[in-house]
Amino acid sequence: MPRFDIPARIIEQPQLAHGIFLLTVKAPAILDSANPGQFCMLEVKYNNSSDPLLRRPLSIYKTRANGQISFLYKEVGKGTRLLSKRRPGEIVRVLGPLGQGFRLIDDRPQCILVGGGLGIAPLLLLAERINQSGKLIILIGAGNASEIPTIEDFSGLTRYFHIATEDGSLGQRGMVTDLLAQTLREITGMAQIYTCGPWPMMKAVYYMARKKNIPCQVSLEAAMACGIGLCLGCAVPKSDSQGFLHVCREGPVFDADQVNWEYSQ
Amino acid sequence: MIHQKNPITQSPNLSIKIGSLVLKNPVLLASGTCGYGTELDGLLDLDQLGGIIVKGISIKPSPGNPPPRLVETPCGLLNSIGLENVGIESFIGDKLPWLRNVKTSLIVNILGNSVEEYAEIAKKLDGAEGVKAIEVNISCPNVKAGGIAFGTDPEAAANVTRAVKKATDLPMIIKLTPNVTDITKVARKVASAGADAISLINTLLGMAIDIKSRRPALANVFGGLSGPAIKPIALRMVWQVVRAVDIPVIGVGGISSPDDALEFLMAGAKAVEIGTATLVRPGTAENVLAGIRDYMEANSIQNVDDLRLPE
Repeated sequence: MPRFDIPARIIEQPQLAHGIFLLTVKAPAILDSANPGQFCMLEVKYNNSSDPLLRRPLSIYKTRANGQISFLYKEVGKGTRLLSKRRPGEIVRVLGPLGQGFRLIDDRPQCILVGGGLGIAPLLLLAERINQSGKLIILIGAGNASEIPTIEDFSGLTRYFHIATEDGSLGQRGMVTDLLAQTLREITGMAQIYTCGPWPMMKAVYYMARKKNIPCQVSLEAAMACGIGLCLGCAVPKSDSQGFLHVCREGPVFDADQVNWEYSQ
Repeated sequence: MIHQKNPITQSPNLSIKIGSLVLKNPVLLASGTCGYGTELDGLLDLDQLGGIIVKGISIKPSPGNPPPRLVETPCGLLNSIGLENVGIESFIGDKLPWLRNVKTSLIVNILGNSVEEYAEIAKKLDGAEGVKAIEVNISCPNVKAGGIAFGTDPEAAANVTRAVKKATDLPMIIKLTPNVTDITKVARKVASAGADAISLINTLLGMAIDIKSRRPALANVFGGLSGPAIKPIALRMVWQVVRAVDIPVIGVGGISSPDDALEFLMAGAKAVEIGTATLVRPGTAENVLAGIRDYMEANSIQNVDDLRLPE
């Protein structure tokens, strides 16, 4: 799988809601070999500055035929704050596409995507890919409506689309796991779950899936320095207690039963 | 200052000697930041480099430390990976065949929990086709047994050096820790115990606390600091060790640019290792090499060794 470390021109970077940005860059080479669930490492420092030193890993959110890639992210610290200040026309260095993305399972007539907050970021490309065959169910949850400003990108993809917010500002009041419980009661036949969101949410989703014998793929997040398997920093304990998974190289998408969900950092 | 182009058409000679080992240029990849080479495939042309020093290898595979293993600090990186590695058997069986096809000098970093273990790994590598030298890690701050325990005690460091020397004919580089009061003491000891070269520095012991969770930021509490933040310390120590021993010294610590590398070469280092900078930009080493060449051409410097400042 070819990877590229290239200077990419920023096309636009609107702030969609408080602290949430949609960065679009021109990077045709990366786009050409990108699969749903893969990520890129973006340089956030200016020129030869050494601070912040490390790049930031961001899921590929959206791609367009004209070579444009978009990243949906939240400002959470110094690095993402600097990145959010970059303007159209400026150059940002992008390394990608990286990691193992979602694996599409052909014999699953029903795919259930479960996203929590900005955990929806790696799910859009997947949803677009799945949509071409079979039944697509999208379940999205957040604290409130402003945490998921790009919801319309998803809502048009399927009529099986449901939202839950904890404050009831959008969709059903409650958690995305409530939506999943309802869905799992209703569906019959083979299904596949794909999920990304906060750790406790993914853990709950996995346990619900396991109870029903439904395979579940999760997209994990971890602090990482290189994104390409050099530093081994992004370790997550394996379910069999035999060492660690590396989010950047073997992931970020894993079969949920590979992961030790009882471990908390 | 305006650099005059070299009037001599001859291109500069970048090759260097570390003991019996000839490297085509002085730019190496530092252990622990370049995996086993394959991870960089397509992002960095390893063939161009003087050498690659692969991830520290122990007798048995090691899972490493629990996460969190990384914390970013100003201009630096704290890690407590804990020497996660595939073990010597898997290295020779699974990693070495690919590395043999790379046209650069392969140096294997080794680590043991005892003097005997160091010797045992060295013996196994002695006959391994493709291995050009050994770098002996007596300086990792992230493992409870071994590692730094040998590097902070000059006698223990000398014992490891002698044991490895006896176990192999391969050139042997001893990698020193900066976490000592006087690094020249350890350097002199390992030099007189038969080391062919010394590389320094490994990471500086440090820590960070997460004030939100009110816990140490690393699961291992302490970690090793690397990156541009440590460069002035590394440079000072290289300067000291160069003047304390007669064997070649390899400089490592925060080198990210050609200018950084030139400082180390001027301090008297025979070669440099690129570490954390490869994590940030995989192509850094190629850029450093090109910059050294450009500087030599612009300043009519014929040999890398001539970069060293006069005493």
